[in-house]
Amino acid sequence: MANVITASKLTLAYDGGRKEIIKNASFSVRKGEFVFITGPSGSGKSTLLKALYGALKPKTGTLSVGGLDMGRISRSKLLELRTHLGIVFQDYKLINEWTVEKNVVLPLIIAGYGLDIQQTQAKKLLRHVKLTEQAERFPLELSGGEQQRVGVARALSKNPFLILADEPTGNLDEFSSNVIWDLMENACDQLGSTVVVVTHRIPTIFNIPYRHFIIENRGIYEVR
Amino acid sequence: MKSVKDHLMFLLPLLAILISVEFVIVFNRVTQNSEEKLRQSYSILVVSEKVMSPKDFRRIDSHIVSATPIDKKTIAKEIARGMQNAADAEILASLPHFYNLHLDRYLSRPEVEKIRQKLLAAPGIKKVETFGESLRAKYNLFLFLKVIFWSFVGLMSLVSLFLVVKQMEVWQLAHRERMQIMEIFGAPMLLRSGVLFRMGIIDALLATLLVVGLFMVLRYYYAPISGIEILIDRQELLYETRDGVILAAIALGIVVVTVFSVAIRSREERE
Repeated sequence: MANVITASKLTLAYDGGRKEIIKNASFSVRKGEFVFITGPSGSGKSTLLKALYGALKPKTGTLSVGGLDMGRISRSKLLELRTHLGIVFQDYKLINEWTVEKNVVLPLIIAGYGLDIQQTQAKKLLRHVKLTEQAERFPLELSGGEQQRVGVARALSKNPFLILADEPTGNLDEFSSNVIWDLMENACDQLGSTVVVVTHRIPTIFNIPYRHFIIENRGIYEVR
Repeated sequence: MKSVKDHLMFLLPLLAILISVEFVIVFNRVTQNSEEKLRQSYSILVVSEKVMSPKDFRRIDSHIVSATPIDKKTIAKEIARGMQNAADAEILASLPHFYNLHLDRYLSRPEVEKIRQKLLAAPGIKKVETFGESLRAKYNLFLFLKVIFWSFVGLMSLVSLFLVVKQMEVWQLAHRERMQIMEIFGAPMLLRSGVLFRMGIIDALLATLLVVGLFMVLRYYYAPISGIEILIDRQELLYETRDGVILAAIALGIVVVTVFSVAIRSREERE
């Protein structure tokens, strides 16, 4: 099966290359795989995720996402690539002036889908994340768990080939966490999306096969 | 309330720019009109030994648009009035030809002097007289006012433009989070900046309407009672329909340029 992500001798750094976070890491993720990346705080998990959606350029080595070299990708190509990604953030990154429904369909708005498709997809996703009743409310009127479910629904709205999630269940209640893991499992298992989740803790009950990478001492190692 | 204040902070400098632009347009129209009047009342008198046609004069200098022969009989009569025995016919025969030349526009003193020299150098032309020194003083005053006016309007527009850009930056900061989120999900710059364009375009159209309204009031209500001859005669000097189009284009142009400059500066920097 084709690789969705390929990293070869990848070094990621901040401060104009002075502060190296990940050094000489090589790994690959195939289409349809579910990957957990764990590691201690400050080990570089979120940094790796930033590099995967193109907010951080590799210092050395190569990183390819969906066949595109993230070190050389042009701004327009990067924006186009991002429209095919589903990204979930620990701090949700919802647009507070927009309703829940409009937040969910942001990727569809960007892709230029019609209003009817947006509404149909929003209804379906809000039902999946159990927020049908909250469609017309604004993010700041919701609990943290509910906001994160909106974030996950948004990430799934355009059936992305790659889902990147940064601590999606960080401080959430058990109900919200379960809803989110179910959706992630489903996206991978039923829709064939590749999922990369950065987390402190892998859920104890997980129903589909997965790979597990750990980031330690600036290296990335596969442990399962 | 905050939203109204935000709009006013953008609208007021934009209004200042548009009012300045409209004043420049009106001022130019008024001065053009006055220049045309000066041009019409200004002439060069040429005394020539031979008969010359307007074409001959145009060949000497292209600024000459017409050459009207002055009736020699009138001159001969004037001369004969003081003499007891002189016959009109004799005087008439000995008189050279007189021409009144008109120019295509009101020219500066060195330019008129140049034409004068060219005329004098032409075969047959004996004398060239230029008139209108009093007109020149009037014209120089016009030029002086123009320079003062342009300097003031230029400075005011510059300061206003600076305020417009600053307000656009304030808007961008207020909407930065939204724009960043949209960028993460791949929104192109036009879509990300949609909210800035919307706000800017609304204010641009509003500012245009206000300025158009103001100058229409001046044209239809102020001009007839202004007591200023040129405005009473030609009210359209204060506002023409195409002014509205020019103002709208300038206002929208300012919005587009400022939104783009702010959006480009605020886009994600890949580390």
